[in-house]
Amino acid sequence: MQSDSIQTRKKESMSLDNKAQVLSADTAMRIQGLSKEETLKFLNTSDKGLSAEEADRRLLEYGHNEIRAVKGKPLWRKLVAQFTHFLALLLWIAAGLSFLSEYLHHGEGMLSLGIAIVVVIFINALFTFVQEYRADKAVEALKKLMPFKVKVMRDSILNEIPSGDVCPGDLILLSEGDKVPADARLIAVNRLAVNNAPLTGEAESKPMTCHPFDGDLMESPNIVFAGTLVVSGSGSAVVFATGMATEFGKIAHLTSGVEQGLSSLQKEIISVTRTIAVIALSTGIFFFGVGTFTGRGFWHNLLFAIGITIANVPEGLLPTVTLALAMGSQRMVRKKALIKTLTSVETLGSVTVICTDKTGTLTRNIMEVSDIWMDGPDTESRLMKAAWCCTNAVYAGGCYKGDPTETALLRKAREVYGDLSAELVSDIPFDSVRKRMTTVNRIKGEVFVFTKGAVETVLPLCSRLLSGGTEKPIDDCSKASLMQAYQTLMDRGLRVLAFAYKKEDVSDKEECLVESDLVFTGLMGLEDPPRPEVPEALKKCGEAGIKVIMITGDAGRTAMAIARQIGLVGEHPRVIEGPELNGMNDDELKKALVEEIVFARMTPDHKMRVVSVLKDEGERVAVTGDGVNDAPALKKADIGIAMGLSGTDVAKEAADMVLLDDNFATIVNAVEEGRAIFENIKKFITYIFAHGTPEALPYIMFALFRIPLPLTVMQILAIDLGTETLPALALGVEPPEASSMKQPPRRNSGLIDSALLFRGYIFLGLISAVSVLFVYFFALYRGGWQWGMVLPQGHLLERQASSAVFLGIVIMQIGNVFSCRSATEPVLGHGIFSNRLINIGIVVEVLLAVFIIYHPLGNRIFGTAPLESAIWFILFPLSGLLLIADDVRKRYVIRRLHTS
Amino acid sequence: MYKKILVAINEFTNSEVAARYALALAKSCRSRLFLIFAAEEGIGQNAFGHAEGALVRLFAAAEGMGIEVESNTVKGATFKTISGVVREHGIDLVFTATRREDIQKRFFVRTHAREFMMNLPCSVAMVRVVEMGRTHPRNILVPLKGHLSQIEERAYFTAKLAQGFNARTTILNLSGPIKGIFQSWEQERDFGPDKHTAKGVEDFISHLEQYKVQHERRSAQGSVARSITTEAAFRKNDLIIMGASERGLFKSFLSGNPVENVLRETPCNLIVFRPGRKSR
Repeated sequence: MQSDSIQTRKKESMSLDNKAQVLSADTAMRIQGLSKEETLKFLNTSDKGLSAEEADRRLLEYGHNEIRAVKGKPLWRKLVAQFTHFLALLLWIAAGLSFLSEYLHHGEGMLSLGIAIVVVIFINALFTFVQEYRADKAVEALKKLMPFKVKVMRDSILNEIPSGDVCPGDLILLSEGDKVPADARLIAVNRLAVNNAPLTGEAESKPMTCHPFDGDLMESPNIVFAGTLVVSGSGSAVVFATGMATEFGKIAHLTSGVEQGLSSLQKEIISVTRTIAVIALSTGIFFFGVGTFTGRGFWHNLLFAIGITIANVPEGLLPTVTLALAMGSQRMVRKKALIKTLTSVETLGSVTVICTDKTGTLTRNIMEVSDIWMDGPDTESRLMKAAWCCTNAVYAGGCYKGDPTETALLRKAREVYGDLSAELVSDIPFDSVRKRMTTVNRIKGEVFVFTKGAVETVLPLCSRLLSGGTEKPIDDCSKASLMQAYQTLMDRGLRVLAFAYKKEDVSDKEECLVESDLVFTGLMGLEDPPRPEVPEALKKCGEAGIKVIMITGDAGRTAMAIARQIGLVGEHPRVIEGPELNGMNDDELKKALVEEIVFARMTPDHKMRVVSVLKDEGERVAVTGDGVNDAPALKKADIGIAMGLSGTDVAKEAADMVLLDDNFATIVNAVEEGRAIFENIKKFITYIFAHGTPEALPYIMFALFRIPLPLTVMQILAIDLGTETLPALALGVEPPEASSMKQPPRRNSGLIDSALLFRGYIFLGLISAVSVLFVYFFALYRGGWQWGMVLPQGHLLERQASSAVFLGIVIMQIGNVFSCRSATEPVLGHGIFSNRLINIGIVVEVLLAVFIIYHPLGNRIFGTAPLESAIWFILFPLSGLLLIADDVRKRYVIRRLHTS
Repeated sequence: MYKKILVAINEFTNSEVAARYALALAKSCRSRLFLIFAAEEGIGQNAFGHAEGALVRLFAAAEGMGIEVESNTVKGATFKTISGVVREHGIDLVFTATRREDIQKRFFVRTHAREFMMNLPCSVAMVRVVEMGRTHPRNILVPLKGHLSQIEERAYFTAKLAQGFNARTTILNLSGPIKGIFQSWEQERDFGPDKHTAKGVEDFISHLEQYKVQHERRSAQGSVARSITTEAAFRKNDLIIMGASERGLFKSFLSGNPVENVLRETPCNLIVFRPGRKSR
């Protein structure tokens, strides 16, 4: 090779010493499958730990052992986006046109309008930005699960270092109560047990070994994962992944990295804005053309076109929608659903699938003994004695303490048997491998052994059966009847425990002899009963076209039994368990999801996958979760719902909504509220569309027929951003209509459609416009005006006529607001005073109008003049006529709906 | 296609871990392997010893796998040395590991990574190691987007590496962002890859099928880097193979550089692959 080569090896020059260093010929090895020596060599470390220098080098290479959020868009870009979305652009154009008009035709008030629009843009942008900007607290909550200090061997010395300084290759020492700082391979253990709940959701601790394992990394008993807790024992392990490369880091990655798209409401608003933009621009261009055709001057036409375009831009749309959502979220809190993201209020209303946990959500999370099997009478006292003694639960101070299953058994025993005086001599605790526990108790001087556990582990220890109060040998016949009873209880979805006993002093005997030659006493079936309100809530979901899918960690049989009991599924649903799901590809899963389905023995990873596939299929998914590792699925779903009572902080931070009572029925109530909010926004849009025509039509007549100016730009502004605001907001708090949960979820139906446009612009708008024109001409003719007469600019009669138009729009909108409370139900069906905010809004609206028309300051700002009372007396009946006309239309619509 | 593969070794463990991928590929392609440590001026005794140790271990591992291997420690500047060996021996593919500076510097300006990627006259595989304990990929993620050049070589590289580990691959079709600066047009686009990507993906898969590599197709929408890393974290992929960025400094400055972002945020080991210049 080159001349400055220091040392060259070729294949044939390999020394025997070097060969001894080869850990394996195959690089294709998995960390869990290696022996202790191989592991150390694979990670280039030793059982004395890394040297401090090597640790520093590795820290430089791999970075600190830290959990952090995935870097997202910079804040400034998020802020800029609030000023550049479509509606903001439309408003910018409107503001620009206003300034242009002011420049071209000074003194018409267009400057004020331009400034007002810019203020609206800023308020919208800042409000939305503050709302959307939420520091990623879910990742902060994840960080809290990591330890602060870690015991590490460095240069053969035991050090305690900050968790962040741990690097791959470090040898860490673990003991009871420690949090694991990184993913590591165990090389020595002493009765080590780890609780992997943050990763797997399993509450039971897992006994660990250091022997090679041939299976999957996540299942491996020789791997400890970052963020988990050492429950008992001690051990040492070599770190192979740190920080965001750990399994825990991946949860943080998914929790903070899932890209949130636009919510359905945001999409709808973009769509509405486009429609409005097209309408506004088309109207402006059309009247510019008409003006040119009728011989008006270019600048006059341009100003007119700008005015009419601006009049059509809904400046109040965003603030009103935001406030409607905020008020909706307040109502939801009262229904025990805490909304964390404002747009989620409406998204809830559009969900098509709810993926729900079982325990605690559909059920009460309180275990109860619901059935007992014994062979004949006179056996119950012995069975209850076993349940009383063989337990970890305690009854003290009037309440039960312990695991739900244990307390349920003790409660039952106390109810049936009463209190018992028994001294605990010794015990063999429960573990997940043996699946049983045993206690040795002294009762009235006699020593008893009591065992309880899974039937398959207790029955083999028994040689006799307690039958009718007497012990008899277990034969095939009694075994068959016992197993039959067991199957029957299992088929009902019960958790079945077997009990056995013997009367014998076993104080000097070994464990295996203590648990031998037992007398089988009986079976107890436990269940977590469904919440009583759940069947009704599920029925509501069915009527509302929402599919509910149970995703539970419980066994298939238990899941099925509960699902049937609450009416979630019929007789023959498909049950998919975790291992089966692992073997399915996405296409197979998509096909399965069309059927009636229950997912059992699921891990949070499975849940995330189901949610992901449902979303790929275009469904809007709400998913419930409570564990740390549920956070990614909660983020991925359209609506992540965390359990307020039993949920972890991480789940609550990652969710869009927190159920304060963990109850499934609350989700359904929230969905109903969400649907109501969408309908309320539609009502609001109808309401603001309805004033577009009476604002535009007089202006058109002014342009075409050279009549006195019927409405100034400032008066339009006073309506759009002043008098109308409160009644519009009041529409946002309308309660759900009775029919809202009888309709299928909206999929592609937008906020506005042709029916809404017709009702707003043509039907309600035209009635208002004709009424307004009527009072306009009434005021003019009463003041002595005649057709063709030109009034000087600012003439009292012109100001009175425009004041009449202004008041006309205000009064007609009072009728409109009542009419818009429902698209189909008659006004009186709701009651006039059932929405107090509307009544308050109307009072404020009228007071504002009075100020603008009758107060000198109002006159000066808005170019108005006081009106005689006759105008009021004309307008109120006209407003009533509008209500009657719309009620007639509603009846026609309902009839058509019924016939179709 | 790859008769001679070179692995650049240095004093960091990353380079040794990265070399394990090269070993698997060399075995799969029956290539000759060159393990080169370029000892820069002023390198410390410990660092030198560390790199030397890595050479010894890798040499032994390669030999054990039946690979024709040669290892060499050469004095000199890293890029100059490697480039010299590449030219002298007609190397087809160079494996190099990222250093801390590659990750920290924007657009890799004045980094070894950039020098290797821009100036070596052969294919380059730059390996970012984040998981030292998982160098046996079982499921390789291959994100594809935009105009795909030299599809045949890309597919060959992926297929041979997958064969080397008996891994399956997931082809991730990437489409546009969910929302852009105007938050309006992008979200209404059809969900799926653009025309160029769609054709490239089909070609890539047809090449992959020639090598009988098990593959699955997935698609994702959103920011490119985030889609890749999220998919990898979600599906528990243990290796990502992505193409090197063809964006210049100016375009990277304006619209970002997905490769740079993936390098920073990858939840598993990553290979950034640049096909050889000779075949372009």
